[in-house]
Amino acid sequence: MTPQSFKKTGLALLVLTALALPLILRSPTYLHILIMLYLYAYMTTTWNLVGGFAGVLPLGHSVFVGIGAYTSTVLWLQWGISPWIGMLVGGCLAGFVAYLIGKPTLKMRGAYFALATMAFVEGVRVIVENVDQLGPFKLNGPRGLNIPPLPAGEGSLLAFQFATKEPYYYIILFMLMGVVYLTWRLSRSKLGYSLSAGGEEPEAAEALGVNVAKCKVTAMVLSAFLTALAGTFLAQMTLFIYPKSVLTLDLSFELAFIALIGGRGSLAGPIIGALMLRPVTEFSRIYLSATLPGMHLILLGVILIVVMLYQPRGLSEPLTRLFNRLQDRICSTKTGGAK
Amino acid sequence: MTKKSLATAALTLLALVGMSMSAMAETVVKIGNVEPLSGPSASVGQQGKNAREMAVEEINAAGGIKSLGGAKLELIYADSKSDPNVGVTETERLINTDKVNIVTGCWNSGVTYPATAVAERYGVPFVVPVSVRDTITERGFKYVFRIAAKDSWWTRDQFTFLKDMKDEFGTELKTVAFVYENGDWGTGFAAQWKTLAEEAGYEIVLDEPYPSAATDLTPVVTKIRRAKPDVLLLTSNAADAVLITNTLADYKVSPKVILGSGGGHADPTFISGTSDNSKFMFDIVEWETDVNKPGAKETNDKYKAKYGSNLTGEAVDAYVAMYVIADALERAGSLEPAKIRDALATTDLKTGPAAIVAYDSIKFDATGQNENAALAIVQINDLGQGLERITVWPKTSRRADYTPVFPMPQK
Repeated sequence: MTPQSFKKTGLALLVLTALALPLILRSPTYLHILIMLYLYAYMTTTWNLVGGFAGVLPLGHSVFVGIGAYTSTVLWLQWGISPWIGMLVGGCLAGFVAYLIGKPTLKMRGAYFALATMAFVEGVRVIVENVDQLGPFKLNGPRGLNIPPLPAGEGSLLAFQFATKEPYYYIILFMLMGVVYLTWRLSRSKLGYSLSAGGEEPEAAEALGVNVAKCKVTAMVLSAFLTALAGTFLAQMTLFIYPKSVLTLDLSFELAFIALIGGRGSLAGPIIGALMLRPVTEFSRIYLSATLPGMHLILLGVILIVVMLYQPRGLSEPLTRLFNRLQDRICSTKTGGAK
Repeated sequence: MTKKSLATAALTLLALVGMSMSAMAETVVKIGNVEPLSGPSASVGQQGKNAREMAVEEINAAGGIKSLGGAKLELIYADSKSDPNVGVTETERLINTDKVNIVTGCWNSGVTYPATAVAERYGVPFVVPVSVRDTITERGFKYVFRIAAKDSWWTRDQFTFLKDMKDEFGTELKTVAFVYENGDWGTGFAAQWKTLAEEAGYEIVLDEPYPSAATDLTPVVTKIRRAKPDVLLLTSNAADAVLITNTLADYKVSPKVILGSGGGHADPTFISGTSDNSKFMFDIVEWETDVNKPGAKETNDKYKAKYGSNLTGEAVDAYVAMYVIADALERAGSLEPAKIRDALATTDLKTGPAAIVAYDSIKFDATGQNENAALAIVQINDLGQGLERITVWPKTSRRADYTPVFPMPQK
């Protein structure tokens, strides 16, 4: 077996397992945990387009989640436009907003960009919390928007609401696979190389004729568009959105944490990070909340500290080494056997 | 396999079957509780948990649900972290995985609102002890029942109190200031205050939302000082209630009436955190330890001995919720959700431990709201035994021999 085919087999097995999981795992609770895991992996992957490849630290991505969630929900509630269309409208709107804020801020270096994006989320949240109506759009201030549930046991593709968890599972799984594929293609494209060059050595990259600022803005717009799609998905999952859930710094930070733990700028990083953090949060909340309330927060903190101390570049690095060693062993024993 | 081992295996199997049969005979009613057990409202979540536990212990010790063969109640908790999304997930989990028969919670209106929608979707009865947002019971839901008053009743009673006191003491009250936390709860109250104040002919001199997590509220207090209101209406969470009260005292701001809206002002830490600064303040509550109801004092003493603090209005509602559920189960005689729902809908509970609430009875209207939920207003004062909360309104419930200090003395 060549290393190439080993990788392909591994990937195929992974995808097949993910596709088959709902057939084995019947519990809606566990499916829900997996859905949230994929959703966070998805959002972190889109975050990674800017935060990982472009080498800046955006801490304002929840604003795009919020734009996606609010756009599709408002369109559905007020005009009955299907959330699927709302999803695309929200994505475009988020991309446009990203262009507006990215243009001036992406020229900033280091912490200044992070601070500017944080300020932007907080600003938008305060506005949404304090206005009940923005032009013709009813936002309902801090009380948020509730999507009326369909009658018990009914689902509708058009309304993006399903009676069981499985459809949600497959939708987010395909979204995740799509965005990972896109990132993979991007990382090997001219834009991808320009981005990482600009992220690491902006002066050198510019000297070579790369328009660093333009590349970063392009990445930001793309990332915002994709992040907003997750916002619509989140709104349709929970059927309730409000400023503190989709427009908060907490969400932005969580995405950054997942990326930091998994490994910024790597393809597998966001998935590894989500795989590490989400189950810890969910299971400790489910099983420890009655006896040790708040334990999940402590666990999260401990994991962060330990990873940052021993693997400051995230877990994807040691895991890649492990994977390579495994690959070497399997591939070499095979060829050894042929001798 | 030898014959002997075969026989042993058969016997073990038989024993297992027998055991599971006897386990099945003892029915357990599972009550799922979604509460804020961590995060900013963890202390109220804990009190709700204590109160539920005490009630369930009493119910089980008294023989459980007799119509279900002495079935015991079992409490299962889930932490909402005061986060609506977590509340929704956890409600779903309790229903799907733990297969609870009834859900209660969630204290935070913002959590209860979407969580009750989940229960409605699955057709599982949801008893809300206390969550004030009006719309929780105004969506035509069939499975949602609320024991405490809704927020339009709170604000209505606050203004009735002002009017009654004005008439009783002949004090002029013309201007009013609203200061409230900028969340869902505070802004909801403020919107209703505005309408009520305009109807009653008050002049609104200040309308000031503030972030509940603020560490310094001096700017808010200086605005109050400049506005010089006769009446200051507050809606605050725990830490900010203490902060505002102490800062008001530092700046010697003294309106004729300061009236809280429960929440932070009703928290046991409020008086200890403000000491004399909170003296003569008013607060609206659902229940006070001096309530004139049989059994109230005994229940409070028992609770205090067990958990170290007085029952709060919200804890009482949680305590009573368990008795409301037990009563409904007793009448339903079945664990079928629809039957429990119908029994809850026909609740009319006047006697037993549930009667310690300040309400005449617990009876749900067609929307699921307890139509008899009532409120009281207390004044914080020191009658020689340290600062305490004394019921002053409605006049019929006023503590005997107490004359309210009205208006509050100027500083």
